[in-house]
Amino acid sequence: MSSPLEQFEIKPIIPIEIGGVDISFTNSALFMVLAVVVATLVLGLCLRNRTLVPNAAQSVPEGLYEFVANLLRENIGIEGLKYFPFIFTMFLFVAFGNLLGLFPYAFTFTSHLTAVGSLSVIALLFNIGIGIKKKKLGWLRTFMPKGIPFALAPLIVPIEMISFLSKPFSLTVRLVANMTVGHIMLKIIAGFIVSLGLLGVVPLLFDSAIICFEIFISLLQAFIYTVLSCIYLSDALHEH
Amino acid sequence: MPQLDFSVFPSQLFWLAVCFFAMLFIMTRFIIPKTAEMIELRKAKINGDLEKAAEIKKQVEQTLEKYNQALQEANSRAAVSLQRTKDELEETVNRRQAELSARLAAEIAAGEKKIDAAKEKALQKVEEAAADLAVDVLNRLGFAGIKPKNAAAALKALKKDQV
Repeated sequence: MSSPLEQFEIKPIIPIEIGGVDISFTNSALFMVLAVVVATLVLGLCLRNRTLVPNAAQSVPEGLYEFVANLLRENIGIEGLKYFPFIFTMFLFVAFGNLLGLFPYAFTFTSHLTAVGSLSVIALLFNIGIGIKKKKLGWLRTFMPKGIPFALAPLIVPIEMISFLSKPFSLTVRLVANMTVGHIMLKIIAGFIVSLGLLGVVPLLFDSAIICFEIFISLLQAFIYTVLSCIYLSDALHEH
Repeated sequence: MPQLDFSVFPSQLFWLAVCFFAMLFIMTRFIIPKTAEMIELRKAKINGDLEKAAEIKKQVEQTLEKYNQALQEANSRAAVSLQRTKDELEETVNRRQAELSARLAAEIAAGEKKIDAAKEKALQKVEEAAADLAVDVLNRLGFAGIKPKNAAAALKALKKDQV
């Protein structure tokens, strides 16, 4: 029986190296591209025949749109709608990454610290960017909240910095851990199906149930990732 | 564990950034405007319909108000006309009554006058008869030659003394 961790191995498909840095097109990158392509295709096809009274297909992107818009309104406020495209894309990217990973033989790039970490770093840079744009130098207040005696600065500033940087880290770990555990479980139980012979029906049913559960988890984790990003974005925009 | 192999980080970061920004571009350029368009149109339509409904409601209210006004006007006009008729009737009744009482009074006055005249005539006749009677009585007593005129005058003077 092969190791349940084998599915997470990153293999280069097209080796590319620029300036000594390895940026090979890997199976992980392939699924990132697939996530973009599939998401675009699905939403694009749903939006083909649009009517004023929404049809079933049309209500998918519209539902997603209203969903993310409400998320922004609730967590950031009306000015949060400015960042709608970013959050919308993030949600779809993570959701499709999770869902595509559930197909047999597929690769789940959201189960990789390096991949999700990169996304979180992009989100963090985005946060810092709009924070500085909105508050200018006042953005540095993030690390030294108002009302705290100056004498405490040596203590508070490092703590706030760690807290600021740990947010994307916790985001990443939460998503990665969920995805990894789900896939390991699926793989281990799938291993029993073959080795138990006829009795393998039991783990097969169990695996089917877990797959359904994993679909739910995929969407839920994408949602959580997005909500927390919204909350961090709101922290960057508002005084706290 | 392959997750902890950080040697793939540059490749992951590069491709993720490429994919993410490509997706961001696609979403911003195509998917989001297309989705938002219909939602906005729908919102506008619903708002338009609501506005139309509000307008119709306003019209209905205006019509109702006009109707009420007309009703009130008609009522007040009817009341005025009724009052006028009543007044007229009352006036007529009063006039007729006055006429009647005036006529009655005149007739009564005329009747009284007639009665007075008849009484006076009767009285005169009584006086004349009294004078004749007095002359007659005096004649029988032996005082002849007394004229009835003188007797009447004497009776009158006698009557004055009595009074």
